[in-house]
Amino acid sequence: MRTFLSDSLRRTPVGREADEILRSCVHCGFCNATCPTYQVLGDERDGPRGRIYLIKEMLENNAATRETQHHLDRCLTCRACETTCPSGVQYNRLLEIGRAAAESSVKRPLTERLQREFILRTVPRPALFRQLLSLAGLFRPLLPVAVKKVVPESVSKTECWPETTRPRKVLLLEGCVQPVTAPRINLAAAKILDRLGIQAIPATGCCGALSHHLSREEKTLATVKSNIDLWWPLVEAGAEAIILTASGCAPTVGDYGRLLEWDRNYAERAQKISALSHDISAFLEREDLGQFANSANGDQRIVFHSPCTLQHGLKRAGRVETLLEGLGFNLNPVQDAHLCCGSAGSYSILQKKLSQQLLAAKIEKLEEGEPAVIATANIGCLMHLQSGTGRPVKHWIELLDQQSG
Amino acid sequence: MRPFECDGLSVYRALPLMVALPTNTGQVREILKTCYRLGVPVVTRGAGTGLSGGALPLEQGLLLVLTKLNRILAIDPLNRTARLEPGVRNQAISESAARYGLYYAPDPSSQVACSIGGNVAENSGGVHCLKYGLTVHNVLEVTVLTIEGDELVLGSEALDAPGFDLLALINGSEGMLGVIIEVVVRLLPLPETAQVVLAGFASSEAAAATVSEIIGAGIVPAGLEMMDRLSVEAVEAFNSPGYPRDAEAVLLCELDGGEAEVAEQMTRVREILETQRASSVTVSHSESERLRLWQGRKNAFPAVGRIKPDYYCMDGTIPRRELPRVLADISAASSRYGLAVANVFHAGDGNLHPLILYDANQQDELEKAERLGAEILTMCIEAGGTVTGEHGVGMEKIDSMCEQFPAAELEQFHALKYAFDPPGLLNPGKAVPTLHRCAELGAMHVHGGKLPFPDLPRF
Amino acid sequence: MDLQQSIVQKVREAIEKRSPVAIIGGNTKAFYGYPSEAEELDISGHRGVLEYDPGELVISCRSGSLLSDISVILAEQGQYLPFEPPAFGEQATIGGTVACGFSGPRRPWSGSLRDYLLGVKLINGKGEVVSYGGQVMKNVAGYDISRLMAGSMGTLGVLLEVSFKVLPVPAHEMTLGFDCDQAEAIRKINSWSGLPLPLSGAFWNQGQLQVRLSGAGSELSRAAKRMRAEEINENCVAWSELREHRMDFFTNAARLWRLSLPAATGPIDLGGNCLVDWGGAQRWYDTQLPALGVRRLAAAAGGHATLFRGGSNEERFHPLTPAVKRMHLRVKQAFDPLALFNPGRMSRDW
Repeated sequence: MRTFLSDSLRRTPVGREADEILRSCVHCGFCNATCPTYQVLGDERDGPRGRIYLIKEMLENNAATRETQHHLDRCLTCRACETTCPSGVQYNRLLEIGRAAAESSVKRPLTERLQREFILRTVPRPALFRQLLSLAGLFRPLLPVAVKKVVPESVSKTECWPETTRPRKVLLLEGCVQPVTAPRINLAAAKILDRLGIQAIPATGCCGALSHHLSREEKTLATVKSNIDLWWPLVEAGAEAIILTASGCAPTVGDYGRLLEWDRNYAERAQKISALSHDISAFLEREDLGQFANSANGDQRIVFHSPCTLQHGLKRAGRVETLLEGLGFNLNPVQDAHLCCGSAGSYSILQKKLSQQLLAAKIEKLEEGEPAVIATANIGCLMHLQSGTGRPVKHWIELLDQQSG
Repeated sequence: MRPFECDGLSVYRALPLMVALPTNTGQVREILKTCYRLGVPVVTRGAGTGLSGGALPLEQGLLLVLTKLNRILAIDPLNRTARLEPGVRNQAISESAARYGLYYAPDPSSQVACSIGGNVAENSGGVHCLKYGLTVHNVLEVTVLTIEGDELVLGSEALDAPGFDLLALINGSEGMLGVIIEVVVRLLPLPETAQVVLAGFASSEAAAATVSEIIGAGIVPAGLEMMDRLSVEAVEAFNSPGYPRDAEAVLLCELDGGEAEVAEQMTRVREILETQRASSVTVSHSESERLRLWQGRKNAFPAVGRIKPDYYCMDGTIPRRELPRVLADISAASSRYGLAVANVFHAGDGNLHPLILYDANQQDELEKAERLGAEILTMCIEAGGTVTGEHGVGMEKIDSMCEQFPAAELEQFHALKYAFDPPGLLNPGKAVPTLHRCAELGAMHVHGGKLPFPDLPRF
Repeated sequence: MDLQQSIVQKVREAIEKRSPVAIIGGNTKAFYGYPSEAEELDISGHRGVLEYDPGELVISCRSGSLLSDISVILAEQGQYLPFEPPAFGEQATIGGTVACGFSGPRRPWSGSLRDYLLGVKLINGKGEVVSYGGQVMKNVAGYDISRLMAGSMGTLGVLLEVSFKVLPVPAHEMTLGFDCDQAEAIRKINSWSGLPLPLSGAFWNQGQLQVRLSGAGSELSRAAKRMRAEEINENCVAWSELREHRMDFFTNAARLWRLSLPAATGPIDLGGNCLVDWGGAQRWYDTQLPALGVRRLAAAAGGHATLFRGGSNEERFHPLTPAVKRMHLRVKQAFDPLALFNPGRMSRDW
């Protein structure tokens, strides 16, 4: 498409980047077909092609409106459109730029600001988050349905983090929400790694995705830098990889290098950290998993919900499914597997209605083959799906652990 | 409203007076009634994937967007029909019919996104229409609202209807005659098997000759498609479907039907490919392989966006025997203008899709692309063909219509338009040029140098 | 012979004198529709193939060409008109075939006459010679006036030339027979129609369902096995007998009705003999039931009824809804503003 960005904007790195992305779009509209919000709303402005156009208009005329922001807010950032786009438009990056531009020039109503601030101040801090969850009542109305229904798991004393020292070492990022609501996931991962002769060293903290998605760049960069400071000594001590059990974290950590490429003090370390980061499925793919082969529950049907971050963000569509099937698990096929479940980080709180519509549609597709268990690969999706079904929803790594357990 | 200012052809844009997104047909009726009373022109739009500017809004008109009318109303497996609202996506029909072993045959490349209402309005084709026909061959009944508020049910759930074949007339009428609010399509049984063969050739001429050989051998492939080196390069960059990058042209030939029949025909096709000295031959051996090979072709248009920011897509159709000559002429014109042309086309139908690559941010490149495009369409008319095979005239090819049709024929079109839309409020200015416009264009040719539609903003 | 000039001349004279014309080809389908009382305009001498390149799968010819000649020319190249048009007489012309728009037994699976019609050249009511469509398979430049001519019974213009898409003749054909009643026949054929079987004809009459398969030889025997049938050669009605209405059912019919219905519609009892064709989508009745009753039953099933042959001074065609009828009058006006072509032939209103 032809663009009319002002020269001054085009001289900035962000302006240049936006211009390049806008020009790569040929306006074919294929993206709308796989966009979950467009499928529900049928409005050009709620599909990627329309949002690209809104961002183009905003940047060209230097005029953001509440309306533009409203439509940009509705994007799940599931990136299904990027998978579909034959022209290779980097939509997600353009949306980040567009959201940031809107955020800086449009003032949100007070309730929205408070809601966003609250999320940012609580969710990424496990200790506080845990306390709040147990408090209930007072602040529950502010929480997503997903979290409301999840009772924080307590891990029994007998199940503890393996402490054997192994020659191969990796960092295992615990994340922010996961250790509070589903501590078994990281534990399962640690145990599996242990059995493969790899020692998992827990690394605490939030990856920064939450503030990143809410266009709070300063806060994001602060989080990222503090993570790098925290992890770097361990990397220097010989950790061969940084493993992420939430596929939602992987694209963000993988993006550290780009986020800090202008920062002389951090650029190099950030790049190294990004290069070392792997979603656990990518890491395990290269290991011999023979001992985890599924023999006992061969006839138990499971269904895998591939998180958007896994299939569109990390471009790993079908990989976990192949891995599980290779180990003898019986997977049900899923119709419209490319569509988002509606969780999308803080989306389930901020866009409740749409989020619930998408959830209902997703659960219907997942339950079509009457599976015994729904497996997924991201804590956000896991909690969201669990809020909509009576069937157990688990991280696939837990299934592997049960298998070997 | 900016996102509505253009459809799949983004070089032409206009901000509509207003946009309506009705959620039911009752609202469509009310909107039309109001527009008729006030004399406001109406442009109907579906998924906005059209490539001829057929859904280009009018600054003084209402844009009627039917994407929210996207329910599949009924599927009748025994009669093999589906009743649809106009906003249903083409691919969604086949997906829903699959449980009955049925599908909807026409499959334009944009089938993931384009909607059935738009398909009918443009009489869309696809890669399988050599064997299964165009939209007009697969639609049984269409309900349209006229601007005067009449509801016309054209065709029926049987195979014909009394009176004139107005159903055939509505197909491809580009939103000029009525607003489509319901469509009944014919569903076909999914073929028992389908196999595609991908062959590389050292020249486009050799590939084109092979097309004639295959058809001459009495084989009717389900699809017979050709792509040149440049478009192969583009799709390989997108999703690496495994096309030979060293070939000057590739041919995709799909055979479907019973297993025995497909095997028999595949042997014949492979023999022909061998005689025609194909440089490489890949045959699909599974459904996923077959789909992967098609993925390249189906994404070819937008994928060329990876080579140059913009493309201008032509749609001329010519008798197949003219293929080698017209291809050579296009290639000569391409170097004359200094603009690369990627060729992707339905070789079996003689339907060319030369994609003229340019950069819209360079003002003179768009002008050059438009002139080159017009020249290519003239070549098609001269070869005994037509300026549009399946994309429609829209706004884009309206001037080429003056070349293809003499005044009497255009007047006959206008008389027909008047029958359906006496006040001329539906999509005015598209599809059929006024005689006045053609006369001016004739004068323009004499004076030269003037651009078509100087009144339209372009980027 | 090229008679275009003289035909155009005659039409222009008719326009000048405001004197209507009745267009005549081979006069083989005069029984269909209403008689037209105007002065005859004979186009049967305007004949000859204009272009036929088997590699292009297209044939163009003058409208007066004999259907039988065209069939022979195509057959010499192993090709045919896949909609299997009935001729109803040796003198049938291709122009008359288009004007009536009939298709034969293959229609549900191969498509109709209008589906194969690619282009026409005609004289409109202003005496102008106009051409639409042409030699190419796909053409969406302007409205599809060519296909509008199919079945318009010469009321919109005088056809001068027509172009058709043609196809290779199927390598093999096989006819299968089944003893069953009408309801079962309809059920059977519709369930087969939903399966990938190489069907190309299916009719039922007097307790026998006869099915035709076309395609590669090996495929046909596989399909027959799947349908649990054996090839029949004896007692089988030739498909051309059905197409040309030479079977006893047709020749004995005093008042022949044609019902066009959704294919899977169950049997409709009109109190007379019935022949089910087109896999259930076209049903012929020899019945004395009043027209109103026949039409009501056909419409209730989602179809329509035509009094095809015989009968007295009755409505031949199914009535149109008021809105659609209004549009017909306007379309007629758009092509033939002076109402000179075949007045009353298709409707008492135009």
